[in-house]
Amino acid sequence: MKRLLGVALGILTAIGGFVDIGDLVTNAVVGSRFGLSLVWVVAIGVVGICLFANMSGRVAAVSGRATFEVIRERLGARAGLANLAASFLINLMTVTAEIGGIALSLQLASSVDYLLWIPVAAVAVWLVIWRVRFSIMENVTGLLGLTLVIFAVAVFLLKPDWGSLAGQLAPTVPQQETFWSYSYYAIALFGAAMTPYEVFFFSSGAVEEKWSVKDLAQSRINVLVGFPLGGLLSVSIAVCAAIVLLPAGVSVTSLSQVVLPVAEGAGKLGLAFVLVGMVAATLGAALETTLSSGYTLAQFFGWSWGKFRRPAQAARFHLSMIVCLLVGMAVLATGVDPVLVTEYSVVFSAIALPLTYLPILIVSNDPQYMGEHVNGRVVNVLGMVYLVIILVASIAAIPLMIVTGAGS
Amino acid sequence: MILGDLLGTPVLDADGGRLGRVADVRFVLDGTPHQLMAEPRLLGLVVGPHSAASFMGYERKGLTRPRMIARILRWRHRGSFLVLWEDIAVVGNRSVRLRPGFTRYSTALDDHAQA
Amino acid sequence: MTSASAPLPKAPGVGGRILDAQLHLMDRQVLDHDGVPVTTVDDLEVSGPAVDVEIAPGAPAPVLTALLTGSVLGTRIFGGRPPSSRLIRIPWKDVAEVGVVVRLGVKGEPLDASWVERWVRDKIIARIPGGRHDPR
Repeated sequence: MKRLLGVALGILTAIGGFVDIGDLVTNAVVGSRFGLSLVWVVAIGVVGICLFANMSGRVAAVSGRATFEVIRERLGARAGLANLAASFLINLMTVTAEIGGIALSLQLASSVDYLLWIPVAAVAVWLVIWRVRFSIMENVTGLLGLTLVIFAVAVFLLKPDWGSLAGQLAPTVPQQETFWSYSYYAIALFGAAMTPYEVFFFSSGAVEEKWSVKDLAQSRINVLVGFPLGGLLSVSIAVCAAIVLLPAGVSVTSLSQVVLPVAEGAGKLGLAFVLVGMVAATLGAALETTLSSGYTLAQFFGWSWGKFRRPAQAARFHLSMIVCLLVGMAVLATGVDPVLVTEYSVVFSAIALPLTYLPILIVSNDPQYMGEHVNGRVVNVLGMVYLVIILVASIAAIPLMIVTGAGS
Repeated sequence: MILGDLLGTPVLDADGGRLGRVADVRFVLDGTPHQLMAEPRLLGLVVGPHSAASFMGYERKGLTRPRMIARILRWRHRGSFLVLWEDIAVVGNRSVRLRPGFTRYSTALDDHAQA
Repeated sequence: MTSASAPLPKAPGVGGRILDAQLHLMDRQVLDHDGVPVTTVDDLEVSGPAVDVEIAPGAPAPVLTALLTGSVLGTRIFGGRPPSSRLIRIPWKDVAEVGVVVRLGVKGEPLDASWVERWVRDKIIARIPGGRHDPR
């Protein structure tokens, strides 16, 4: 019974933790402009993140090494440093976006101005990182994030024309959009599903919770059941936008538009649910990205790290996270639109994916790290396929960004 | 001497012909035994066509998967060889010169000898 | 370069374990006796040979004397070399084991290599309430 509860908790936390501000914004934007014609990208992205998380979790559980430690060892110092610079900057962008997301969600819930919520959000994130135990942090934010399932409920409550919805699933470019903006948003959606920080966090979390080979089965279940369901949750955000906003010609530019369909379908109660869910999801994601910043720096330079250590025993790790939060706050204080920051961060995430992905693919094949748990044939084939997909997305992103003016 | 300075230095033969770059430096633990580990004695240099860290030692450790990557990396480092300390004439600031008649050895690491 | 056809001969047998600097030592995590991370191996120090000096035939091979860390990482990537007095060393005699990580046989805290960690800890982290609180 206890085992079953543990498994259930793992899955539920994975579902609730899947959605972050990137998924919220990108799926809503895509739903409002392209209907469901890009849902296939989410499917590809979910399979990719399952593959990715599975490999990096396995590397961490078997070898005890987290992703970024491995990146420097395998790529060498120079390539590792380039990788660190790119990953860290994009991570920092994502931290900024997530903190902005918390503040925006709190503004929606309270009508207190967004700028006032920014320091509250940042301090809250820091306090949790400083004091709260890793597993408690993960479980609470994950379970609270499950309230986002109200998006899926709202889809049914809105009584859509199922036939025409199903028809939208075909991957065709809608009339009012161009092929270029379609491709651009495909990459953005892909980047939102396969965020690099997820991998850094997942593998470092495995070390935090001291996973060993025995935990591999549990982690596999969490990933293979939890992530696809989380993906379905993301899709339901797009479906809601497609049902309500697309016909009205409203393309999403703010967080209040993201929740509009839920308010329409499920009323005030639904709105309450979605606000709780959004605060929890963005808070959870902010925690994960901030920790990822600390993890990547500490693992590259060899510092002592981990929430399982006293802060005094991981001083540089904690200091670097404090600095990240301060930078994030400062950027947001300039009044930049966090939704805009989010839209850019997902595309840049897609660009940075090959840097993170290739070392993981290689190390999970190395018997010195993995012993007998090296990749099987199927995983390797899938891995190579995704390597190609990721490279294509990464290379196409910047030209598309220029051609489409970042999707506008 | 700092090893980082040595890595990547061009390697020349006795007549000044270019052989490649120092890709790695091989040590063997048969020096003076200390309390914990024996002192590593410089055995030789691994010379390769590029200085780029011979990317995870694919060509040395017999790693074969993923296959495409292994093949690409092995091709990039074809022609790598090991040259022993005895065959090194001068270690300079800009190049390493070998003695005439030096021997090229295989860079492979035996399973029982590798780390 | 070499004719690719004939396989190269194997090097003469040696009486100890082989370590390749770049492959096995460089950029590896260094853990202390208790498994606490200390730093990464940013470079290595060898006892010779003297630069630009002809090596006498039969001269003994140099030995690896210390692991280096700190600013030497920047100079290794971008060029240049810090003066010898500024190098942060971990003497080889403190190394207990080399595997996926490098394990020392001593505690990491008093080492030179930990001075930045000590400084950040004493000046900043320990000053914030709860800094010494055990999270478990």
